[in-house]
Amino acid sequence: MPGLKFLPLVLKYLVRHRGRSLLSLGGVATAMFLFCSVQAMQQGVREATVRNANDTKLVVYRQDRYCPFTSNLPQNYEARIAKIPGVKSVVPVKVAVSNCRTGLDVVTFRGIPSDSFDLGSFSHAQITDGSVESWKRRSDAALLGERVAARRGLKVGDRAEIGGITIYVAGIMRSPEPQDQNVGYTHLDFIQRAGDNRAGIVTQFNVTVTDPGQLEATAKAIDDEFRTAQEPTTTWSEKNFVARATSDILEIITFARWLGWGCVVGVFALVFNAIVLSVQDRIKDHAIMQTLGYTNGLVARLIIAESMMISLAGGFLGVLAGVGVMSWGSFSLSVEGLSINIHAGWATVLFGLFLSAVTGILAGLVPAWQASRREIAACFRAV
Amino acid sequence: MTDEALVTNRNSDTPSTDRTDVFLAITVTALCANLWRFFMAYIECRNLTRTYTKASTTITPLDGLDLDIEEGSFVALMGPSGSGKTTLLNLIAGIDSPTSGSLMMGAVDVGKLSRSKLALWRSVNIGYIFQLYNLVPVLTAYENVELPLLLRNLSAKDRHKKVAAALELVGIDDRHDHFPRQLSGGQEQRVAIARAIVTDPKIIVADEPTGDLDRASAAEILSLLQQINVELGRTLIMVTHDPKTTKYAGRILHLDKGRLLELESSTASAPGIHP
Repeated sequence: MPGLKFLPLVLKYLVRHRGRSLLSLGGVATAMFLFCSVQAMQQGVREATVRNANDTKLVVYRQDRYCPFTSNLPQNYEARIAKIPGVKSVVPVKVAVSNCRTGLDVVTFRGIPSDSFDLGSFSHAQITDGSVESWKRRSDAALLGERVAARRGLKVGDRAEIGGITIYVAGIMRSPEPQDQNVGYTHLDFIQRAGDNRAGIVTQFNVTVTDPGQLEATAKAIDDEFRTAQEPTTTWSEKNFVARATSDILEIITFARWLGWGCVVGVFALVFNAIVLSVQDRIKDHAIMQTLGYTNGLVARLIIAESMMISLAGGFLGVLAGVGVMSWGSFSLSVEGLSINIHAGWATVLFGLFLSAVTGILAGLVPAWQASRREIAACFRAV
Repeated sequence: MTDEALVTNRNSDTPSTDRTDVFLAITVTALCANLWRFFMAYIECRNLTRTYTKASTTITPLDGLDLDIEEGSFVALMGPSGSGKTTLLNLIAGIDSPTSGSLMMGAVDVGKLSRSKLALWRSVNIGYIFQLYNLVPVLTAYENVELPLLLRNLSAKDRHKKVAAALELVGIDDRHDHFPRQLSGGQEQRVAIARAIVTDPKIIVADEPTGDLDRASAAEILSLLQQINVELGRTLIMVTHDPKTTKYAGRILHLDKGRLLELESSTASAPGIHP
């Protein structure tokens, strides 16, 4: 890259060709916004299926059922599961979702027994406003994940109707786990009544095992226990459970990855085109600079710096817009009551900026090489 | 001392006189060599040839040219179109390279420099003034003049001093923040002259510097170039078609079909600086 004293010169070229620079900048920013959005979705999938998976946790579901509306298990299974060797704790959970379709604003209610509720052992969540005691005091109380609260504009003390269920906001919680961020924890009996009014029926059991090495064996023991029961079960590790539930959406997001890379190719083509046109327009300018003593290498580096700066500036705006929209919208993609949070973290921001810079450099290489190989006298004859 | 004298001295019977004469001969020879070096031409073209090949056609704008130009002179290059004036100017300016022959500038054979070394040499030794000014359109007058100084290891303050001085010398210091499109032709050429002199180069080359100007502006520019030649002592080589402009030059060279036809000295040249 050229010395710092040449950067104002590059900036002047960009700023004083305002129309061309703004169009290029806008194109790059739009493409990088799309890329950032796709990256945010991929990051959400990674966090939901990999980072948050706890290998000591099992999810017990109704056999051959894959949806919280159809997975109905008797609550009294709790006692039988608790007796199985290797099981540390069992929590019956009733899941109700505000919308049975896949969407960006689906809220999942999880009804859990209030008498034995211990947030610390159940989740990594922390209460940021309100309290668990307040939640325990009211039967219609809910502890909301902060993304739901932010998206719906709810605060402690508010009453809200979500998907036909009216709740009182007793607390807001922050959690590193995606499934806690888009959820409302309610009393189990409350959600059983408010949902499909089926007391004694739960959607699933969340089981913690004593030994991670015995995870598969414990899952098999649970399913064997209920093999001949009226409602047989299928037990997955939590990691597999989330991956299975989101497998369809994973395919879509894997396809979206190609769209993301398509955006990067678009950025390359856009910057390449802008720089090629710019260099062709400035054959004489570069010949003048070379006459003044600018070496071919320096002229090439100035062109590459210009290409990189326009790409980086566009990338910065696109990534900034992406992060802003993701943060403002607090979007979550919900499938079967499980959430994939769409948000652009630092990794996405840095990767987006890095990719913008590299794409800019690559797009500037050929025009820079062409410009640096021209004979000065021939350039003056040509224009 | 002639060879005959040296022979006479050698035949002398006195050994001390013989030694003295040898010493004197060596001293005089060394002195002559130094004097020759002092007065020798700064630009030496020997058998300078430039050919261009386009498809199957070979054009030879310069054909075996021999030319010496002394330091501090003001030379006008004249000749019909296609006579090789601009080619010679470009070779002297180091923006083109000879096909054969040698082009010595001081102690440097510029024809043998690599492209990067030639660029460095140009930045130090050459100021180029174009017929169509060739200012960078997106830069102001000040920034255009500053452009060659960015290659020097100068602070912004030092660059500012030099640019201000150059703009003042060409009488355009009140237009430093104007873009080329906001200047008249004469003003643009003054900015181009300021850009050519700001690095204090040894040689200033001008390719028809008044070719695109009206008579009054042309006279002003030529006076300015003569002033730079006289007051700053810079070697100035100017291509021109206009015989009237040659009165400012100390030496006029006529080129035709790549060969030097005649040499003449102008009677109206600047005093005291021409050989």
